[in-house]
Amino acid sequence: MTAEGDRANTGRGIRQSMSDLHTWVGLLLGWVLYAMFLTGTVSYFKDELSQWARPELARLAERPDPAIVAQRVANAFDKIAPGTSQWSVRLPDDRNNSAYAFWRTAPGAPGQRGFADGHFDAATGERVNSRDTLGGEFFYRFHFQFHYMPVVWGRWLAGIAAMFMLVAIISGVITHKKIFVEFFTFRWGKGQRSWLDAHNALSVFGLPFHAMITYTGLVTLMAMYMPWGGQVAIKSPAERQHMQAELSAFTQPGKPTGQKTPLASVEEMVRQAQERWGRDNIGRVNVSHSGDVAARVVVTRGDPGRVSMSPQYMEFDGATGRLLSVRDQVGGAAETRGVLYALHLGRFSDMVTRWLYFLVSFTGTAMVGTGLVMWTVKRRQKLPDPQRPYFGFRLVERLNIASIAGLSVAMTAFMWGNRLLPTTLAGRSNWEVDLFFIVWAVTLLHAVLRPAKAAWVEQLWAAAALLALLPLLNAVTTQRPLWHSLARGDWIFAGIDLMCWVLAALHVALALRTARDRVKAPAKSKAARPAAMAVASGEAAE
Amino acid sequence: MIHLVAFVLSLSGFGALACAAHRQQRDLFGKALQPATRHMLRLVAFAALLCAFGVLVAQHGWALGLVMFSGHTSLAAGIVVCVLIGYARTKEQKLRHR
Repeated sequence: MTAEGDRANTGRGIRQSMSDLHTWVGLLLGWVLYAMFLTGTVSYFKDELSQWARPELARLAERPDPAIVAQRVANAFDKIAPGTSQWSVRLPDDRNNSAYAFWRTAPGAPGQRGFADGHFDAATGERVNSRDTLGGEFFYRFHFQFHYMPVVWGRWLAGIAAMFMLVAIISGVITHKKIFVEFFTFRWGKGQRSWLDAHNALSVFGLPFHAMITYTGLVTLMAMYMPWGGQVAIKSPAERQHMQAELSAFTQPGKPTGQKTPLASVEEMVRQAQERWGRDNIGRVNVSHSGDVAARVVVTRGDPGRVSMSPQYMEFDGATGRLLSVRDQVGGAAETRGVLYALHLGRFSDMVTRWLYFLVSFTGTAMVGTGLVMWTVKRRQKLPDPQRPYFGFRLVERLNIASIAGLSVAMTAFMWGNRLLPTTLAGRSNWEVDLFFIVWAVTLLHAVLRPAKAAWVEQLWAAAALLALLPLLNAVTTQRPLWHSLARGDWIFAGIDLMCWVLAALHVALALRTARDRVKAPAKSKAARPAAMAVASGEAAE
Repeated sequence: MIHLVAFVLSLSGFGALACAAHRQQRDLFGKALQPATRHMLRLVAFAALLCAFGVLVAQHGWALGLVMFSGHTSLAAGIVVCVLIGYARTKEQKLRHR
């Protein structure tokens, strides 16, 4: 054998190994990754979904002055939670029509949160009564910590899945030897070849995003995954406090003196922050020991236009209103983490960039989905009897149906639950979440009981029907039907209604395409041999 | 407005790159283009993409500009492929009807 031949064989061997690695790391946690990707994708519109989930809260036609709203909420806290050691309010903005605050409560029974939260009317500062729901927050939390399990376990599972994803991306790039030559190639109606082309296209076009989102996802929880460096370097409480200040504007409150004095004007403090960062660029106001001489007020900078989650804030003496310190920058390591964190969350985005995030993340979801489906497409052709596949094949096929089509049904059911569950129901927000999982479990049961193709088609139709009818349900159950939203220029409600129809159309197209699809008989004859060879070479290029 | 300019430039850039690719030349023009034409298309493509990048960075700074550029190019490439698929399918159906 020539040296060139050796090199060629070695190269093919590495590529084949990477292909096997890509296939198996993609499959083993592929269903988890699909769920993480899809719920993470919709989380780019988390705030909008949360607004939609609380139709009782009126739309803000104009953005209120953050300084005035902050003062109104501060006044409300004198009545709602006098003596709380700490409260924090996120002020209304273009994406949030209410102020959202949480505050510390007296320690209760072990296991209780020690926090309470609520929404506040921007116009009055009063706490508002809206339905008990997690809204978009559920999808956001689910995408990195899941549910029905301790938060730490969920985050570990998300981290392992993200690590698998990172390996799948790197091995996929090595395996796909014709990234540039076949950049625009899609061969329609060629079975496995078409699935491979679609998977490649979805992977390559968004490759910078897919790599970034996976890596930065790991960075967001890096202190949990790899705590040892921090444990060795940071030991004393003072060091820990210093590190916390590098990462967040929300720090543990100090000790009160017990000497009472009214809180100085929060409005004036926010005004000073507005002079520094702009009128509408205020994020939160954090207050500790309000009403005590030791009170502190921290006003943080907003997220827009700043690709960093590193804290930027102004700290005031709460008793006198005097500016104590300004934090404009953090150390290099903290800033690196802040930038990577911000890239993952995308909160700095204007509306166009947010849509770009959503669309490219959607292609990432489709990339994982096509990869999962391809595992069965590739193996179905080699089954001795396609009517009686082996257990592993059946398992993957059924899990694919429930995790791809079933998740669409379950997520839409969550939104139906938001509109249909009685507002007086105790533990309502938990019921919404339970409904999501009940429906998802039913889709799995349906996938197991029905023939595979029928299960795909029926679940895709079910998702399409639920999505298409959701705007009608919204029109019947709220005062904010689509025509009202359009007439008033309420693009959050109108956008969600219209997006439901776009997604319904997508599911209809998928259902029709799946219904038309015919499983090809295994290639046995001589005439079929070239096609089989093409498939084999396609596997190597995968 | 800047987004629109950057997107149109990205779309033009990937459109030109697609025209310069061998397989797509056969699909679109029925033959391979001259090497000089291919080089010209690639030059135009890179110039358009560079302009999109420049416009975004000039307007929004390096950090935001880079993020936006990545989003526009991903979307533009996806749209070019969808258009190519649509074109090939229409052509195929027309041929079948003849």
